[in-house]
Amino acid sequence: MRRLIAALGKTIGDRLPMQFRVLHRQFLLRVIDLEALSIEADIPRFLGQFAGVLIMISFLHAFAVYVAIVQYPWRLEHYLISTMMLVAGLVTVVGWDAIFPDRRDIMVLAPLPIRPTVILIAKVCASATLLGIAILALNTAPALVASLLLGGLHTTAFGFFQVLAAYAIAMLAATLFLYCTVLTVQGIAALLLPRKAFLVFSSILQLGAFALFVSVYFLEPALGTVPELLAPSSRPVLAVSPQFWFTCVFNQLNGTLPPELSWLAIRAWIALSAVVLGAAVSLLLSYLRTMKKTIEAPDLVPGASGLHFTPRRGGLRTAIALFSLRSILRSRQHRVALAFFLAIVFAIGLTCLRRELFTPGHEPVPSDFLISTLMMLSLTVFGLRAVFALPISLKANWLLQLTQLRPTAKYIAATRTTLFAFAAAPVLIVTALLALNYRPWQHIAAHILMLALFGLLFVELALVRFDKVPFTCSWMPGKANVQVIFWGAVFIWIIFGALAGMYEHSALHHPSQFVIMAAVLLAFTAATASYNRARARTATLDFEDQAPELITTLGLLVIPEPRADDISKSKMG
Amino acid sequence: MLELRRVSKHYSGIAAVEDVSFSARPGEVTGYLGPNGSGKSTTIKMITGLLERTSGQILFDGRPVDADLIAYKRRMGYVPEEPHLYTHLSGLEYLTMVAQLRELPWRRASERIDGLLRLLSLHEDRHAGIAGYSKGMRQKVLIAGALLHNPDLILLDEPFSGLDVASALVLRSLILQLAARGKTVLFSSHELDTVERISHRVVILHRARLVADDSVEHLRSLMELPTLEAIFSQLAVEQDSDSMARSIADLIDA
Repeated sequence: MRRLIAALGKTIGDRLPMQFRVLHRQFLLRVIDLEALSIEADIPRFLGQFAGVLIMISFLHAFAVYVAIVQYPWRLEHYLISTMMLVAGLVTVVGWDAIFPDRRDIMVLAPLPIRPTVILIAKVCASATLLGIAILALNTAPALVASLLLGGLHTTAFGFFQVLAAYAIAMLAATLFLYCTVLTVQGIAALLLPRKAFLVFSSILQLGAFALFVSVYFLEPALGTVPELLAPSSRPVLAVSPQFWFTCVFNQLNGTLPPELSWLAIRAWIALSAVVLGAAVSLLLSYLRTMKKTIEAPDLVPGASGLHFTPRRGGLRTAIALFSLRSILRSRQHRVALAFFLAIVFAIGLTCLRRELFTPGHEPVPSDFLISTLMMLSLTVFGLRAVFALPISLKANWLLQLTQLRPTAKYIAATRTTLFAFAAAPVLIVTALLALNYRPWQHIAAHILMLALFGLLFVELALVRFDKVPFTCSWMPGKANVQVIFWGAVFIWIIFGALAGMYEHSALHHPSQFVIMAAVLLAFTAATASYNRARARTATLDFEDQAPELITTLGLLVIPEPRADDISKSKMG
Repeated sequence: MLELRRVSKHYSGIAAVEDVSFSARPGEVTGYLGPNGSGKSTTIKMITGLLERTSGQILFDGRPVDADLIAYKRRMGYVPEEPHLYTHLSGLEYLTMVAQLRELPWRRASERIDGLLRLLSLHEDRHAGIAGYSKGMRQKVLIAGALLHNPDLILLDEPFSGLDVASALVLRSLILQLAARGKTVLFSSHELDTVERISHRVVILHRARLVADDSVEHLRSLMELPTLEAIFSQLAVEQDSDSMARSIADLIDA
């Protein structure tokens, strides 16, 4: 299969111009910041692992299709298209700045005899290649199962192919719509705004898009049947939801769309045409301008006027906390990585807020509020811990190595403080604000206390074997088994969150249970903290991620035991 | 006094530095010379503790530096060969972070940071991101960071790189003044004229091995050569530069 893909790629690639091929390959490889990687990093393996996660999700989708598509076709089709659009949205946001060449690209490429359109096409194609891989990985299995099951309901022999084609076109159209919408918005912003304002606006827009995609995915109402879709109360939601539009496109192509919903399919096609045209025009118009502005940008941009917060007091903890905060705030790569986790936290928080806003009067603390806030806390802590592992400038780490005047344990303690201050503490404050409508106050206070204990535990768990200063150790994608970690975390997170939330709900009404729960949490926290501290006393700070030590033998070298007669012969000789 | 005793560094069996011994005395400036790839920066990185040596000993004030590496780091300032800095920070933020990591009393650190920024003409741009600084400005940030804690041992790896003429003159004078105040200064440079003017001693490295360790005057009289450049060319330059240049011009002209 791999050889077939390579051969196919070579056949297509050989027909393309050399400049395009070289640039496309370069831009595609740069989806991961190469400067951040460990020497032993295995990028193909890492990308393969992420494709593996998508393929696993696709098998789960295929199973869901097998079980439910005949019974609940609309609900499942809507879910599949929503998930595809979410994945496409995340890929688009991660490669947000990939369309426009950065200053380094321009300084390298501008003196060379390359037309700007070749650079633009190579950039767009590199992003589209990633999206294509995501579409294929996520949809192949469910598309085949859906085609087999729904194709059987058709009266003609071509039912299978019709469903397959409808599925493929609907997914492609949905992805293209999302991708071109982002390109249009970026192109218009680049065209209208001054360069400096565009850079600021673009990074805000990127985070906003992230939050929007995830929030819509989690918050959109599930309208599962045709009567529900046709109800007048559903019309406002359907009118603004591209996920429903493209679900209707699938049914239109499949021949199963009720005439009353054909306006949604028409809306999808109009919107798709508009954004494709908009992306092409705005990008072509803005591209040359952006390249010119990037070259003309002054080397030294004066610091922003106004307040500059640089506290001179404080030692190691202050230095590491401020360094971490500035790295998150000023590095696009780190902001995006953190936004992935915070977008889910935001969506959960929004659900809680919506419930609070639409509930008249005060009510007791519900168990789903406890579960939600616990999930928000765990996602924030472990999300920030994951972002801590991405370095910001490996070559500048000599400073920390040279100024390491204190034992490693002090640096890990500073990291602990930073993690609690920037991850756990904000969630506690947000929880207190979201709980204003609940009564009695004692239950709210007890829950915040319990969350604080969970926060301490999560911070300690996040620091197990983390002998690093945030943002300073090289990153080695491919070292960890992403598949196992991803699915393990998802299942543990859901099961643990639900169980802990339900138990806590009961404990809020039974003081003895509450004391037991708090004591267990404290015991776990103390045990983990004790392990971490003992380890930190003998650890050295890591600045280079290492592969786990592993000796693999192929079993080719076999040293046979000497036989008795050989020994006797040698003695005689 | 800084002392290297038979220090070697090997990468996969290949010698980057081989059996190098010399000393740098307090109150003196020691120039460390050698062609590209001769092992100068590797030696300096071993002295800082950034690189582990394969064999040999490094002593400061008679004690092996790794006996108490932290105490040694407190007394050492280092300007690296390349201006690698955390470019997402401003100049002021970077120097403040250095002061905090070095545990300097905040009031004294604050005065020194402000003073150094002003004297090095960086004060106006102190809030701008280092990413936008020129090579010379980055070099000044590195020099300020290396001197902030008033170190006894100062290691400068090509410190004049990127500096304009005025700044280079200031740095040249500063190196002499620091030595006059009893500091031990070891600096590597390709600017032989500068090295000749300010160094009390020079150490020359060639193909990872030490080929000279003496005062410039003594080397001049010993080798009967008029300048350090002539001495360096004889000891460490293998190819005929004119014929090399002619070959390059011929190659691209062909």
